[in-house]
Amino acid sequence: MSGDSRRKRAASEPVEVLVASDDETHALSSARPLATTLGSLFVFGRGIAGLFWIGAFLLAWPALADEEHVTADERPFVFWLVLSIGVLAALTSLVFAWSIWRGSNLARVLVMCGVTLSTITAASSYFANGEQITIQTTLLTVSLDILVLLALSSRDARAWARQPRSASARRTNVKRSRKA
Amino acid sequence: MSTQTRRSEIEGANAKPQRISLLAVLDQFFFVFAGLAAVWLAWLLLRESFQLGWWGILVFVVFWGMLAYLALPRIHRMLTAIYVPDYFIGRTRTSDGLLGDPINLALLGDEAALHSAMQAASWTRADRVTLRTSWRIITSTITRRSYDEAPVSPLFLFGRMQDFAYQQEVAGNPAKRHHVRFWRTPDGWLLPGGTRVDWLAAGTFDRAVGFSLFTLQVTHKIDADIDIERDHIIATVLQANPAAAVTVLRDFSTGYHSRNGGGDTIRTDGDLPILDLRALPTVDADEPRS
Repeated sequence: MSGDSRRKRAASEPVEVLVASDDETHALSSARPLATTLGSLFVFGRGIAGLFWIGAFLLAWPALADEEHVTADERPFVFWLVLSIGVLAALTSLVFAWSIWRGSNLARVLVMCGVTLSTITAASSYFANGEQITIQTTLLTVSLDILVLLALSSRDARAWARQPRSASARRTNVKRSRKA
Repeated sequence: MSTQTRRSEIEGANAKPQRISLLAVLDQFFFVFAGLAAVWLAWLLLRESFQLGWWGILVFVVFWGMLAYLALPRIHRMLTAIYVPDYFIGRTRTSDGLLGDPINLALLGDEAALHSAMQAASWTRADRVTLRTSWRIITSTITRRSYDEAPVSPLFLFGRMQDFAYQQEVAGNPAKRHHVRFWRTPDGWLLPGGTRVDWLAAGTFDRAVGFSLFTLQVTHKIDADIDIERDHIIATVLQANPAAAVTVLRDFSTGYHSRNGGGDTIRTDGDLPILDLRALPTVDADEPRS
């Protein structure tokens, strides 16, 4: 029995070990988790929706400019400003979707920062100003943001993105293992 | 050794482990924030479902999906990390961290012996959970077609999903089955009381398909008397493998009534049988699928 008691494991483990084990147990599989796939697809969907929005903007611009009383001098400036912001936003979403798909942790965290900000904005205007969030207004956008947040913050997605598996990290990993 | 030096040694030992990074803290924040946002979204959907007439029924189904598969699991995940003990208490945990099926069987022997013993006792190894097998279990349940290799849901012990599971379908009905999950114990790990075993297992009988009490998800409901299932596993293995032996750790736990991860009642006498498969003839039985 005395031999066995020497091998007995500790009853409590330090926080660092518990936090680390949380990730390790979920990172065992190298396959892309469903949460990451879905998160990436939702972000991609936002990008595509942005492109559609740009198309709609181009079609509606002349009428819209009249409606908003934009003067002839200001028109080119406002047009290009709105268009470039829209294109930039859509492209950013598409690039982030691709990076998340490839396993970039930075892209995952940045996207979560973005959707957190937009969720907080929507929630504060809902709770403070009583702005309605219905299917006719912004329910779909808010839902998409929260789904992105849920998917990308899940333990599977976190563990998978935090293992070294982006292209550059994989290369350094190979180098490291060759050295060893 | 003076108190002063001892203290500085202890502090030195504590200071060594890796620091917790900003990204890890951010991740924790997003994990919690997403949970709260999910609850808010569920509330928005519920309100919306009352505004839309007949379309509201569809939105209500979306609300249920949101609540059962995203919001409640995330809330449970956050809370159980705080209040459910993470050391061995004879219970498995669900993927949401809730207390799952009890550990009611231990085994001695290597993996090959375990596979050959179970297969000889006409148990079927369960498929892994994938999109394809999940879809098949849904269609076979609805159409009541047999699926004797249906996957079992993941339960966790030692922070790991089961290594594999075996099952016996009952009367070709995918809603009812005997099933048992197996975990290899860590090297040098001892049961409370000091006994060394190689495998721990949790066997329960799925009696129907229903809703989980804690998450409202569709799940299998288990038979409350888990000792019957435990004794069934032992009886079938002993009958098919004459070289197998069994010893029982009487009152390994107190007898208890509780609930599993789906909220189903369970009761047990607290005995833990240990199946000894080490004397089994070594045969290269069917190579286990992985």
